[in-house]
Amino acid sequence: MTPELFFLLASVLFSIGLVGLVSRKNLFVLYMSIELMLSAVNLLLATFSKVLNDANGSVIALLIIAVIAAEAVLFLAMIVHIYRTSRSVDSDHLNKLREGAENA
Amino acid sequence: MLEISIFTILALFMLAGSIAMISNRQTLFSAFGFLVAMIGLAGMFALLDSRFLAIAQIMVSVGAVVVLSMLTILTINAKNENLPHEPHKYKWIFFSSILVLPVTLLIYKSTTALYQSFSTMEAVSSKVVGKLLFSEWVLPFEIVSILLLTAMVGAIVIARKETTTKETTKNDLMRSEENS
Repeated sequence: MTPELFFLLASVLFSIGLVGLVSRKNLFVLYMSIELMLSAVNLLLATFSKVLNDANGSVIALLIIAVIAAEAVLFLAMIVHIYRTSRSVDSDHLNKLREGAENA
Repeated sequence: MLEISIFTILALFMLAGSIAMISNRQTLFSAFGFLVAMIGLAGMFALLDSRFLAIAQIMVSVGAVVVLSMLTILTINAKNENLPHEPHKYKWIFFSSILVLPVTLLIYKSTTALYQSFSTMEAVSSKVVGKLLFSEWVLPFEIVSILLLTAMVGAIVIARKETTTKETTKNDLMRSEENS
């Protein structure tokens, strides 16, 4: 079992998250793409922690899991707030800060 | 051989889940794809012999984050006309995949080169992780706990309805005036 397969999987997952982040407009899909990218980094950290036999990588991965939870809570609260004010989960509706916004 | 087959099955589940996540129009189906990917990631952690991370992944990412996002999706219950209008979705996904492909190759090549320069391949025990977490990494651990508390308070403040509090205070004022 070589770790190259894990590296390949982590890079492909990161890229899928990046593709979802740049090509979709649904706020939930954007949020889940960010989570997927963070999880790919986590997988890379765990793999390196095993390859180098160093437990520090596992500790960092654990802290990143906690940061993922905090990010999820804030993002979902923001989605609820945005849906309550503009009745949409479209990221193109978020133009209130733009000068002369038409549907602010 | 067994490890390779388990890895292949888990990797196929994760890839299928994440592709379903970015390509579905209905938000709940995307969340189900995300759930499959997260469970596959927990299996990957177990395959890498880091049991503590696997359990943490199951408890936090699957048990809390995905369930919370599914509950939010079901509560919001966006109708079809409220979902964003994306007529050229697959075209965008295709072109951005082509653009992102060199980044994928870069990450893969650089990590592989890093691994080839030093490697031992032994399991990381949970005991060592716990000792490190509470000796060397205790300051980041505490900072993360403060971050979680801040995120919780911030989420309550952001998602609260502003109008209800004003109405209740007004009602309370009127009621107190009536009583006096």
